[in-house]
Amino acid sequence: MLELRKDIFADERDDNLKEIGKGTQRQDMLGHITGTSSYFNDHKLQGMLHLKVVRSTHAHARLRRIDTTEAERSVGVRKIIRGADVPVNLNTLLSLINFGKDDEPSLAVDKVRYKGEPILAIVADSEREAFEAIAKVRIDYEPLPTVFDVEDALKPGAPVVNETYPKNAFIYHEAYDHQRLRFGDADAALATADHVLEQRYQMSPIEHAPTETNGAIAAPDTNGRYVVYTSTQALFFSVDTCAKILDVPSNTFHFIGGTVGGGFGGKVDTLTEPLAILGAMLTGRPVRYVFGREEEMQYGPPRGAERIYIKDGVMRDGRIVARKIRAYFDSGAYTRLSSYAAVKCAAHLPGPYTIPNVYGDVYCVFTNRTPATAMRGFGVTAMDFAIECQMDKLANLVGMDPMEFRILNAYRDGDMKAHRREAKNTALIECVQVAAEKAKWPIRDEFRRASSRKDGGGSRAVIPPIPTDARARPTTPAQQRTTYDRAPVNVTREPPREPPPPAPPPPPPRPSAPSHGATRFSSVFGTRRR
Amino acid sequence: MAVTVKTFASSNEAATALSSDRTARYLGGGTLVMRALNEGDVSISTVVRANDQALTRIDASGPRITLGAGITFARILSERDLAFLHAPARSIGGPAVRNMGTVGGNLFAPNPYGDFAVALLALDATVAVQGGFGSRDIAIEEFLQSRERQSGALVLSVSCTRPASADAFRYRKVARIKPKGGSVITLAAHLPISGGRIAGARIALGSMAPTQIRAKAAERALEGRTLDAATIAAAASAVTEGTSPSNNALGSAWYRREIVGVHLRRLLSGQE
Repeated sequence: MLELRKDIFADERDDNLKEIGKGTQRQDMLGHITGTSSYFNDHKLQGMLHLKVVRSTHAHARLRRIDTTEAERSVGVRKIIRGADVPVNLNTLLSLINFGKDDEPSLAVDKVRYKGEPILAIVADSEREAFEAIAKVRIDYEPLPTVFDVEDALKPGAPVVNETYPKNAFIYHEAYDHQRLRFGDADAALATADHVLEQRYQMSPIEHAPTETNGAIAAPDTNGRYVVYTSTQALFFSVDTCAKILDVPSNTFHFIGGTVGGGFGGKVDTLTEPLAILGAMLTGRPVRYVFGREEEMQYGPPRGAERIYIKDGVMRDGRIVARKIRAYFDSGAYTRLSSYAAVKCAAHLPGPYTIPNVYGDVYCVFTNRTPATAMRGFGVTAMDFAIECQMDKLANLVGMDPMEFRILNAYRDGDMKAHRREAKNTALIECVQVAAEKAKWPIRDEFRRASSRKDGGGSRAVIPPIPTDARARPTTPAQQRTTYDRAPVNVTREPPREPPPPAPPPPPPRPSAPSHGATRFSSVFGTRRR
Repeated sequence: MAVTVKTFASSNEAATALSSDRTARYLGGGTLVMRALNEGDVSISTVVRANDQALTRIDASGPRITLGAGITFARILSERDLAFLHAPARSIGGPAVRNMGTVGGNLFAPNPYGDFAVALLALDATVAVQGGFGSRDIAIEEFLQSRERQSGALVLSVSCTRPASADAFRYRKVARIKPKGGSVITLAAHLPISGGRIAGARIALGSMAPTQIRAKAAERALEGRTLDAATIAAAASAVTEGTSPSNNALGSAWYRREIVGVHLRRLLSGQE
């Protein structure tokens, strides 16, 4: 049973709330448990055609020639869609919030950048006939050198995966090839630490494995509109993405979704809707495009893999004095949402601990792998896993109990976080204490008496000076500066002695188009239009 | 071209239909053929089925047992007389797959599947096959090695001798997802004991070659010996001989070679 510790979280919740903390019936539960919920694929429309895509058999290759002569003559084929038929055949998902450059075609044109990249879409009377036509397409590939390793991809001379980002790294604010966090002098602290522990952590991509695969059915409607049944988990996001790719106003579409059939982040990429609608536009018939299970597993986007190096300096008494992190987020061949993952990754450093010297570099890297996307805390879970593994190893290194070690290093109310924000409502100490109590894990009295509301702030609230970086730092374009660049309002204890570095996480770009209407502030993307 | 489904009353007619059409595939439980069709395998244009009662017959009364090719794994698990085959039957898929998947179909299941065939290979089973020109019995080892050429033939049944004791037949499937993941490797051992010594050892491996294979060097290391630590160590170190595993998402060829000896040692020494 959920218990809110009022002694710790007195101000955290209004007791007059009607929903939060109370048992409630999910509105879709009755349909789900009685098997009456309808999903996109439950719609069998009259005259419905079926779309299947021809996928690249190479991880990186130039497309010399695509021969569809025989496929066009195949029985039941209504339309073969090429990249040139897609009105705006270059997009990046977060362009809707002015973040990142368009880097991904709906159908590959000159080259393919990952195995399984769609090249052609074939619309036929039946799935079988679409498959038979696919078998008749002849594609002449010129294989190119590939890169599958995030660190190899950043080396000079590495094959260029995506020409939009020639250095194989996502570029933030048109200037930075990584997310950077600097707080104090980690190198100096590592040099004087009693122990230094450096470890490498490598995560694997993870498939969302939804019960229902990605898919959509698009059908011409009256007044030139299209009705779209979809499994998207981001319906309005998908509407706008389709409007952009198909170069029509978003009110052209009537999207019907809501029953996702398992999302977990794997159904935000809007992979099937644009082609299904385009198929409907070009044939005047309803068109269904649904991933097969193998397509879903092999070519549907996974949680991106991360490689994380952590180097920590720890004193004999258990205090961590420095944490230096280098992390690489494997975005695959295109950005999708990985640029945001790297921001979240950087925002999570150095974990919920007060460490006086922190140094972090987080890269969003392009490789010839399947593009990664969102999945439950992407950018955060892997980093937290690495940090907590590291905490156990450090505790072992200094001969401390891992619970006590965490209490010792936990942040407390009033501490300055590495991101120059004051820590509030921290409560990690209390969480560890409760966890120890529930697990009947003995911790010593002084740790049982510790409190996140005592002994924080003071010298722990100081922003330490940062050694200047030897490398020349590119200047941020002025229009990209947002409120995020400003020092936290309440810091009066000690002003930074040097001009602050690009604030971590760095400021997101402000919309370049003239804003109209209300704006709102997002902690990740900054100010954006409503 | 649409897919045609042909259903016959006798296995004889089904076999004729199968052998006369290169695009025909026999549908047993459908766990392989329907998956292929759903995933767009255009090499299949005809699906052949047979309602022949003989295909679902079990003869487990004597020392020699015969399983109709259409027997499902769920059915094997419900037969007390087939207890020695429960471990391999249970290791296949989840309940839905076991409810449909058949003994005959498993002989054609590619890596990382085909675990039941590993058990049958260790048991020196015989496969009864109906071709265009009547039926014949083939040793399972020969059948598996020529599997590519067997697609026009219809498997009628599989038979093998019941192991003398529960201890004489051992089975282990190594999977990453339990209980229903694909095989990283699968091992089966038949160790008949005669006068305290092993006589007629059979070690079969899955996912260690393009088809299920026997580890003949390991069998030789066991033959005529008592099952002691030295013999087990010798068999474990010889087990990779003649194998040619490949890389897949479940494991690399290197990893398979590294662990197969470890798991054989555990299997032979009765470790969990």
